[in-house]
Amino acid sequence: MDEIKITAYKCKKCGRIHFPFHDRCLDCIARDFEEIKPEGPVRLLAFTEIYNLPWGFDVRTLKIGVVEFANKVKAMGQIDVDEMGDLKTGMKLTAYWEPVRKTADEDVFGLVFR
Amino acid sequence: MAVDMDLEGVLRAPEIDMAPYPPKVITLANSKKMVVRQASMADVPVLLKAVRPTLDIPRDYYDIVGARLYAELLGWYKHRVRNEYCLVGQIDGYLVGLVNGRMVDHDIGMSYHTLAIDRGLRVGSHLFASKMEYHIEFLEQQEVWITAESPIGFRRWMIEYGLIKQEGVQHELGGATSYKLTRDLYFETKPRLVAGQRPVPKKILDLAMAKIIVADESDIREKICGVKGR
Amino acid sequence: MMRQVAIIGAGMIPFGRRDEDTLLDMLAYASLKALDDAGMGDKGVDAVYVANMGAGILQHQTSVASALVDRLSLMPAAADAIENGPASGASAIKNGVLAVASGYYDYVLVAGGEKMREVVGWKATDFVCTMTHPEAEYPYGVTLPGMAGMFTRLYMEQYGLTREQLIAVAIKNQKMGSLNPNAHVEMIITKEGIADSPDSVVNNPMAADPLHLYDMCPVSDGAAAVILCPLELAKKVTKKTPVVVAGFGQATDTHTLQEREDPTDLKAVTLASRQAFEMAKLTPKDVDFAELHDAFTILEIAESEHAGFFKKGAGGKAVEKGETSLGGKLPINMSGGLKARGHPVGATGVAQVVDSVFQLRHELGKDRQVKGAKIGFTLNFGGFGNNVVAFVLTRAE
Repeated sequence: MDEIKITAYKCKKCGRIHFPFHDRCLDCIARDFEEIKPEGPVRLLAFTEIYNLPWGFDVRTLKIGVVEFANKVKAMGQIDVDEMGDLKTGMKLTAYWEPVRKTADEDVFGLVFR
Repeated sequence: MAVDMDLEGVLRAPEIDMAPYPPKVITLANSKKMVVRQASMADVPVLLKAVRPTLDIPRDYYDIVGARLYAELLGWYKHRVRNEYCLVGQIDGYLVGLVNGRMVDHDIGMSYHTLAIDRGLRVGSHLFASKMEYHIEFLEQQEVWITAESPIGFRRWMIEYGLIKQEGVQHELGGATSYKLTRDLYFETKPRLVAGQRPVPKKILDLAMAKIIVADESDIREKICGVKGR
Repeated sequence: MMRQVAIIGAGMIPFGRRDEDTLLDMLAYASLKALDDAGMGDKGVDAVYVANMGAGILQHQTSVASALVDRLSLMPAAADAIENGPASGASAIKNGVLAVASGYYDYVLVAGGEKMREVVGWKATDFVCTMTHPEAEYPYGVTLPGMAGMFTRLYMEQYGLTREQLIAVAIKNQKMGSLNPNAHVEMIITKEGIADSPDSVVNNPMAADPLHLYDMCPVSDGAAAVILCPLELAKKVTKKTPVVVAGFGQATDTHTLQEREDPTDLKAVTLASRQAFEMAKLTPKDVDFAELHDAFTILEIAESEHAGFFKKGAGGKAVEKGETSLGGKLPINMSGGLKARGHPVGATGVAQVVDSVFQLRHELGKDRQVKGAKIGFTLNFGGFGNNVVAFVLTRAE
């Protein structure tokens, strides 16, 4: 399984976790961060299935969700399940690092949850 | 013009029996009722009146769709296209859209064109679905071949139905890539894409069957183009 | 001491699909309407602010403010283009207001426009997606409707919002749009047609679960413009009743939804609204009508709550009871809103103010006019609530 190539940032002063990057902590405005990797299973915080996709996607619909990793990193990704009915806010999923789209015929990797 | 039936016997292709399309009624987003029913060859002159103004409308490829549809309908009328059909959508008797295609053989249907006159109500989507319903459920064919001339068509059919691309297979309309709808794919997508109720209430059906009313040319242009003033 | 700022001219062109017009055409037509409405005659302006989000991408054209000045022969007026996503329009007006209030400029033209139908739908969707976070969101194909879908599900779970309440917003706004000659969508829809009938599955398909097609605004072309000047000069120029910018507010929130403590809390809406009311020395209870940013039906309800008009969870019920319809306690989106009037991104915030000016001048027909309207509120929602601008507008007595 490919390593998840996302870097999250933990404020060294107050411990707040950030992803994506901020130059200053969202809580205490400090500028010193420890780089961390998202770890563990994820908890589904929000999700939807999108039917009118932007240019660059060949599929009819995409399921998208926002999750929280066990170490409190929050991130968005695509969800790979058959039916929307299989999803519930708060459920546990596993995160993978896989192709999520193509740009100029090259795979773009990102988070996929299943 | 007198028709020489001996000559017609040579020029006309032998037709396959085609089951008729039973009319249905669809409730649109504004609660208007659209009757979808089969037009007969005798209706073609009226249909041509509705299609003709589109030849001058380049917006959304109406000109190419209209030009080809005009030729197909005329070809059907003159018995030069075999096993063609045309389904029309009518609201209060007014023609709001039409679709056509033909039966190639017992297994394969060829979808030709979809022309919506009233826009914004998914008339085109409903009529396209109706012709797929005709091919699969009433003509009992195995697959329907489809191509698209406009991005709207591509989105509504190739993407919405998940049509199967047919590499190297030429659609009768030529040009763009050919796709197909199979029986399995039709029944899988039917619950979300095919609408309509049967039987049609008598009053509504009688109005539709009595006459296909065509709006005048400037109204048709306005409906299709919806040009906003300053 | 800041001067009071008046809106003395307002104009817009009908929103819709405008293949025959370029972006500059639309901006120019709307600007001329506003200049004429103000009675400016041949008079020039000191500054021009142009709101636009996508000209660089969609039309391959930049520096649109300079282009508009040239087009309208307004040189040597100062000119700035303002880009703030869907809140570009209100941001541009805010900048114009500050310019006049400061005393630096007297007459300011603010125009907003967008030509989104230049490209095919998928590309227009992709253009809107450029607002999302380039690393954390964009690669995944998330769209603004997608964000609204996630937001709606959470709102339903947290506040008991129902699908029927969203449908009520859609029906109300399309009805009002059908009465607005400037609206993109002039079609009445019914609950039968979009929800109750078995055929509604096809009429109103899912767009971003649980939001459907008719929960979404259309993709539109269009432009709108206003003329600003100090209130003390207004009477010298116009015979029409000036509309005063009594208060404005702007606030931001995190770029990504995931970094908000409570993703259903539209903090920027609450803060911007509060600022506007405080500046105007008014409260939500004083407002006679509102033009809210209903790019999605959920947003009209959520914004009405976060701006302070209804308690959290009560906005949906208010729509159902008719409180936000014409004649109700607080008519919302009598223009048809973004839902029906349309959403040419850069134009929207300006169009909200234009429609409010018509309301406050009592110039609308009885099918849209809020009787005796004196105080209006507009809210322009950028990104997914990460940059919000609000105005309180009052009829000058």
